[in-house]
Amino acid sequence: MEITLFQGIIITIAVMLLAIDNQLEGFFLFRPIIVAPIIGALLGDLNTGLIAGGLVELSFAGITAVGGVTPPNAIVCSTMTVVLAHTTGQGVEMAFTLAYPFGLLMQQIATLYNTVLVAFNKKAEKYAEKCNVKGLFKLCFYGILGNSLLYGVVVFLSAYVAQDAMRELVDALPEFLTHGLSVAGGLIPAIGFAMLLRVMLKARYVPYLLAGFLFASFIQMNNILPVAIMGLIFALLTYFNETDNAAKGVVNDGEGI
Amino acid sequence: MAKASKTKVLTSSDINRMTFRTLLNQACFNYERMQSIGFTAAMAPELEKIYEDDKDGLKEVLKDNLEFINTHNVLLSFLIGLMLSLYEKGEKPETVRGIKVALFGPLAGIGDAIFWFTLMPIMSGISASLASEGNVLGPILYFVVFFIAFLLRFPLAHIGYSMGTKAFEVIQKNTEIINRCATTVGVTILGGLIASYVSLTLLPTIDTGNGVVVSIQEEFIDMIFPNLLPFAFTFACYGLLKKKVNPTIIILGTIVLAILGSYIGLV
Repeated sequence: MEITLFQGIIITIAVMLLAIDNQLEGFFLFRPIIVAPIIGALLGDLNTGLIAGGLVELSFAGITAVGGVTPPNAIVCSTMTVVLAHTTGQGVEMAFTLAYPFGLLMQQIATLYNTVLVAFNKKAEKYAEKCNVKGLFKLCFYGILGNSLLYGVVVFLSAYVAQDAMRELVDALPEFLTHGLSVAGGLIPAIGFAMLLRVMLKARYVPYLLAGFLFASFIQMNNILPVAIMGLIFALLTYFNETDNAAKGVVNDGEGI
Repeated sequence: MAKASKTKVLTSSDINRMTFRTLLNQACFNYERMQSIGFTAAMAPELEKIYEDDKDGLKEVLKDNLEFINTHNVLLSFLIGLMLSLYEKGEKPETVRGIKVALFGPLAGIGDAIFWFTLMPIMSGISASLASEGNVLGPILYFVVFFIAFLLRFPLAHIGYSMGTKAFEVIQKNTEIINRCATTVGVTILGGLIASYVSLTLLPTIDTGNGVVVSIQEEFIDMIFPNLLPFAFTFACYGLLKKKVNPTIIILGTIVLAILGSYIGLV
């Protein structure tokens, strides 16, 4: 399926709006689970958007903007996953793997942008010197606008202008490559989860990880909610233990691996 | 010296307007001072009100707040509420600055533990499982939950504003236990997510000779433990990350290995 100029423009506008939230982290509209269905709906293919949203969301579960690091870009990756699945007619796993380089590209651009904005600090100091509060708001406005425009340019070029080239590329791929890319799509969520574990896992939490894994391996569930409730039970036990210990004056330093 | 008025000048709706402006926090995010400009802009109109007759005082606090800051976008409203109450009571700007510097790090830690490391995996897991079945409830549920997280900024701002310096003690006392409980939920969920959403299946089969073909995946690996391979792969990635291998390299390496595996008919 082809993306028309009109579709290219409305996708670009949608992404530019979502990019504002990506920067401000206000409503989490920049997450794949929101972005992909929106893009899918705009292309008249909500179902692909939903399925892509589920896959990409999980892959990005650990790829977060924690600690001021610019992560691979979720909006562009989600958008391109839906666009490529729609235009090439391939599965979302393979589309996601092909979309990943676009996410990396946006990541580089975002890093550059966040470096360029260092120049705003001097300007802000000058406004503070003159007690010019309006000036500070003006900087915020330009900061948001510039970011949004960059996304617009990247997405319009990637989704609309480059679509023929992408389609030709996919058509030229041999069977083992498309299958390999789908397999990779099923593995990439593991890297997201490993990134979360890297931050969260200490020896004391290993039992909970194993419990969650066992539970989901052997019990049929429609979604992950039962595991969440089990996690809540563990957290309550931890809380009561800790408060009891605190009452008895037991010191627990919480060190692990 | 700054000479702020010691009477109450901020109203409840000032606090609400400030909270709405906390959305600007990352508007000028940059690597030198991170959130400083948006952070200052969020509270600047209230500072103008507090330092109405004291231009030098206003200048000083604006410049103080333009220093480096990187904190959590939701809990931020709590911090600013607290700071405004101190400025309003005529606390010295350097005292408020000290409290800000002491608090923004721990708040970022608590906020990340609750929102990024607990709420996000839970909501990603639930919403993704709905969405993969083509159910539009997935994204809607996600949106509603994170919208509530946004709304939390409002009561948090008021709590910060009314608690004043007492808030300082409460945060320092409870950081550890909040982090521990949130991480417990988050890690349990992660175990479940690994089992549910990482997929790796081996294709090779063994011909036992008398016409019986045995699948390595079904007859061996699944017999030992289902999801053994996804678990092992996740921990291989974890090990590489611990060795400080760049995640992008791991992703590209995974793609290359998957294609190679596909080429030789392994996966």
